[in-house]
Amino acid sequence: MSDCLCEINTSDIDLTDERYKISFSNKDIGFLARSFKETGLIYPPIVRPLNNKFVIVSGFNRIRAHIYNNPVHNNGIKILVYETKSDVTEYQCLLKSIGSLAFQRQLTLAELIICTKRLDQFLDKQQIADKSPAIFNTALGPSFVGDLLTIGALPDPALELIHTGHLSFKSAKRISFFEKDTIKVFLEIFSKIHASQNKQLEIILYLMEITARDAIKPKAFYMNQEIQDILSDKKKEPGLKTKDLRAYLFEQRFPIIFKTRQRVKEKITSIKLGNKIKFLPLENLDSQTYSISFTAKNYKEFLANVQDLNAGLENKELKEIFNQ
Amino acid sequence: MKIDTLFIDKAIPKDLEIEYLISRLDADPQRVENTKTVYDFINDAEDPILKAKKTLYITQNKGAVIKACPGTSFYTCCDYTILHTGTFCTMDCSYCILQAYFHPPVLQYFAGLQTLGHSLEKTFKKNKIFRIGTGEYTDSLIWEKVSLQPKFLVETFARQNNCLLELKTKTVNIESLLPLDHNEKTVIAWSLNTPDIISSEEKGTASLNARLEAARLVESKGYRLAFHFDPMVIYPECEIQYKKVVKQIFEYVRPESIVWISIGTFRFMPKLKQIIEKRFKHSTIPYGEFILGLDNKMRYFKPLRIKIYKEIISCIKEYDPNLMVYFCMEDEEIWEKCIEFFPKKEGELGHLLDKSAVKYCSLNSNLL
Repeated sequence: MSDCLCEINTSDIDLTDERYKISFSNKDIGFLARSFKETGLIYPPIVRPLNNKFVIVSGFNRIRAHIYNNPVHNNGIKILVYETKSDVTEYQCLLKSIGSLAFQRQLTLAELIICTKRLDQFLDKQQIADKSPAIFNTALGPSFVGDLLTIGALPDPALELIHTGHLSFKSAKRISFFEKDTIKVFLEIFSKIHASQNKQLEIILYLMEITARDAIKPKAFYMNQEIQDILSDKKKEPGLKTKDLRAYLFEQRFPIIFKTRQRVKEKITSIKLGNKIKFLPLENLDSQTYSISFTAKNYKEFLANVQDLNAGLENKELKEIFNQ
Repeated sequence: MKIDTLFIDKAIPKDLEIEYLISRLDADPQRVENTKTVYDFINDAEDPILKAKKTLYITQNKGAVIKACPGTSFYTCCDYTILHTGTFCTMDCSYCILQAYFHPPVLQYFAGLQTLGHSLEKTFKKNKIFRIGTGEYTDSLIWEKVSLQPKFLVETFARQNNCLLELKTKTVNIESLLPLDHNEKTVIAWSLNTPDIISSEEKGTASLNARLEAARLVESKGYRLAFHFDPMVIYPECEIQYKKVVKQIFEYVRPESIVWISIGTFRFMPKLKQIIEKRFKHSTIPYGEFILGLDNKMRYFKPLRIKIYKEIISCIKEYDPNLMVYFCMEDEEIWEKCIEFFPKKEGELGHLLDKSAVKYCSLNSNLL
């Protein structure tokens, strides 16, 4: 299995063949290129001879950086590589590509998904789990491997979204059980917003519950003008889009709760009790106890708060809140 | 639902009760050493809940036979007493909390009429009114066609005067009860819902008309009646539908026969939602406007509860302004806004229901 260390010409490498690529390319390879200039290539890439060319097994970024450093000699520059034996199998090459990265650093989720998906051609779920310490430098349970495979079956751009943090592992797993069209809806949504895992899960939950309740397809709901307006607004930051989308979904999912909360909030604001007095509505609007509180550093502040409270006593809205 | 597997606890003696039960069930009994065999059998199924509904385990009640209803914190409880005759149910209501309550759910029939009798005798000797029901962890009448237990209970309760027996059901299994001398001590109660909800959410139960027809029949034999609108499900135009059900009640039976009507909207432990979504894919009941109540159960948003309660109570009161209507697990605000009264003191609701029990079931009024 030992590979031979040799020099080859970069023009003999088929850069379009990415069958063993398991990581996302660094957009900017400037730092790596500069490192080569300073210290040279420390770890030679691995290539496989195939059809009079070389296919990269590991070291895609290193080869790109090397070519980047030598643009004028693009066709003739030499690079030190490990060349696999000609009779090496696809499976062995895959193990090399995974191992060379996994034993350098922990693989990201997106990389794990890509790897398990590739390994699935050769091993079953249990075998992947059994061999995982040797392949991934970490033990993976069969059920986790199953999840990785399920998520791996999601269409594009699921992996890209997971890689960029737009789609969490849990959210990806959740949407993987839906119909094809519904999966597409969520991938489109998450490519346009940026939400934490909990917010992603809430968006998935509300959208699915609204459509189940109203017996409409998620795609049809997604196409409505309000959602499209929120998501296609180029002036809005992804974070703001997330906020607006969540508010819209909450209003659709809980129309009466939404209206009641708004009304109570408006009333509380209109009482104008002052900035230092906190007036909290009923917990979930289900308890029977309102909470009004303030803090005071000294007697003067205390007095000012009490006066603010007194001023609000005859307020119509305040009475309405308590007597509704 | 048909029983296809029958397990019997090895410790259960083969007496008349058991022989009667086995002879009427079309399944070969398998004697088992312990519950584990039954649990494993159920847990191995793809849908353990469905499997449990077809698997009967005849065993002994290893816990308390009679116990106080647990109720729930923050909401007003009716101080009910549970007679523990079995667990789980053969019918398949999507909203049934028993699906999430037992781990795993096991359809148990607690054999031992003597044990039941002994426990009841102790309660009969207490100087207190008891409202006792078997419909908390199971349906009271699912075994009526195959078991001597309902007959035994009705006749046992008939011989005392401080306890009322409430048999709560969604079946129409009343035939064996009709000729019994119940001495007015048994209330046969039906859980009611709108025909829409019965057909979409209460799989395997009797239709509304059939339940009311059965109520009419037991009423003709002098039985007292009760009705439970629980869980009420909120959906478009549900007020109209629930009012129609109220109207139907009074078309079938006389208000004078009704000991009480309870009402309560759908509430559930959060984990039930997943079960409903998994087992009842077409059900939309988990998608109402729920909030997390103070007792950590999901409840309809309070203004929605108040709206439906007001409608149905005013409708009931049109037929009989004096009929005892109470809420199952609601708070002061709901009581005040819907009934203009709140049983504030501890045990006050229970006392009101006891009074109704004494009045309708000829219990000893000195015990109030």
